[in-house]
Amino acid sequence: MTALPVPAARRAPRAGRGPRLRRRLAPYVFVLPFAAVFAAFSVYPLFFTARLSFTDWRGTGAATWVGWDNYAYLLTNPAFWSSLGNSAVLWLLIVPVQMAVGVLVAVLLNDAKLRLRGLYRVAFIVPFVTPLVAVAQIWVVLFDQRYGAVNAFLGLFGLPETGWLTTSAWAKPTLALLFLWKTTGFIVIILLSGLQSINASIYEAADLDGASKARRLWSITVPLLRRTLGFAVVLQTLAVFQMFAEPFVVTQGGPYNSTTTAGYYLYNHITRADLGTGAANSFLLVVLVMALSLLFVRLLRAKD
Amino acid sequence: MAATTERTRPRIGSHLFLTLLLVAFLFPVAWALLSAFKPADAIIRSPLTFDPTTFTLDNYTAMFQDVPIGQGFLNTAVVLLCKGAATMFFAPLAAFAFAKYQWAGKNLVFGAVLITLMLPTIVLIIPLLLEMKALGWVNTYQALILPGAVDAFAIFWMRQVITAVPDELLDAARVDGCGEFALFWRVVVPVIRPGLAGLGVLTVMNIYNDFVWPVVAASSERMATLQVVLSTLAQNITGNRIGADYATVTGELLAASSVALVPLLVLFILLQRHFINGILAGSVKG
Repeated sequence: MTALPVPAARRAPRAGRGPRLRRRLAPYVFVLPFAAVFAAFSVYPLFFTARLSFTDWRGTGAATWVGWDNYAYLLTNPAFWSSLGNSAVLWLLIVPVQMAVGVLVAVLLNDAKLRLRGLYRVAFIVPFVTPLVAVAQIWVVLFDQRYGAVNAFLGLFGLPETGWLTTSAWAKPTLALLFLWKTTGFIVIILLSGLQSINASIYEAADLDGASKARRLWSITVPLLRRTLGFAVVLQTLAVFQMFAEPFVVTQGGPYNSTTTAGYYLYNHITRADLGTGAANSFLLVVLVMALSLLFVRLLRAKD
Repeated sequence: MAATTERTRPRIGSHLFLTLLLVAFLFPVAWALLSAFKPADAIIRSPLTFDPTTFTLDNYTAMFQDVPIGQGFLNTAVVLLCKGAATMFFAPLAAFAFAKYQWAGKNLVFGAVLITLMLPTIVLIIPLLLEMKALGWVNTYQALILPGAVDAFAIFWMRQVITAVPDELLDAARVDGCGEFALFWRVVVPVIRPGLAGLGVLTVMNIYNDFVWPVVAASSERMATLQVVLSTLAQNITGNRIGADYATVTGELLAASSVALVPLLVLFILLQRHFINGILAGSVKG
């Protein structure tokens, strides 16, 4: 690719008819391939789901219009609420821990004089780039009750065998750990980029005032990071409530539906070919996720 | 953090904490890669030890015999090539139109792009699946490639990148008689190459790791992508495959997971900087 010669004196573009017309038409041509794919596989399906959610349809034959029945069915169905409950518990197990660890690690890595910081940073992102399905399988093997490495390790300290994936008490924490392992490095990267925009002179002033390390972290870094943190929380909230592949591979929603997340419950409608209910469920999920995101954004704004 | 006060302290506490985390983050992957070379029964008998004298490739040979992983790789490669190429060419092209031209409907279309970015991906799964059924595309490459072929997020990101290209550069090229497409291909593309590199690695990573849509739309043995093939193996462990013993299945699973992990790990190590740029820019996607 050669750099084009730029003339020293710039003139107005030549006013020929051809080039000008081509310039007006060009953007339509450029956008067309994208617009076609976008219309066919994003816009159209969205409108289709909206309509589908008001019908009873099993994938064949004619759909019957049922009005708000699908929504009413879901909202009065304990299984729907328990899927939201499972996701909420996972959120509690994941997001606060991740944000605390993320801030701590990001602050440590942001120290330019720390040795090996490049190595740490790379190591922490490895989980994020590995295929989730491969890692989820490894989780199944590691946390196996009888043969897994985790129980073997704990056994060295005389701890009893735990059914990490086979008891409803432990299945959620074990899934949460997988999620934490997989995405914390990603959060660290986001927080690091937020930290880099904080002016170093603020810390110098704090140093002069003799503020302790912990004090600086809590009184300066965290408040200044609020925007980035809020962004990270919203991202992870969306991800946790849509979580599907983890329970699909690791627990198939069990034991006793304890890991049937909101995303996994939605998938159940597809396997049962109950498409109207599935469509209604996806819209309820969209509303919930958007409401939660807005709530976090508001909370963070209000404190500014 | 500006570390002026503790210049002389070697930060033992920090290193201890970070090293512990590093071990925790690398352990599962390292354990799987190593254990795949152990005899199958040793993996489950003594999961914490590795005896180099018993090094074996048995798990790999068994896995390549029992698991259609070659087909999985082939399908993933086809999708990667077609979908990746479509995104890498058409997304910056459309983004160019959004960034540097005035045209009717521009704001409307861009608004729609922003809305889809905020929507959870699962909302489209059911109607897309029905659309594939109506088109007769279930279990075809079209189904794997076309939806999302020109990623909305890529448009959003590339538009930002291209907006930063100075208008003077484009005007100068026009004065020199450069056509509109040549403007994109010979002026814009060379200038935004760092952004394109980031988009490239992010696209490869996303397509390679994509699972939800492939498992819904194309889960037949012939069309299963690598991730879909992999996902069936854990179900063998939880007891669905009749007649296979636990040790053998575990060995095959670890071998298959290792084979799937390695290409991306190598790519990541070679292209770290672009990965991190891509991941950061990609994080705005909901």
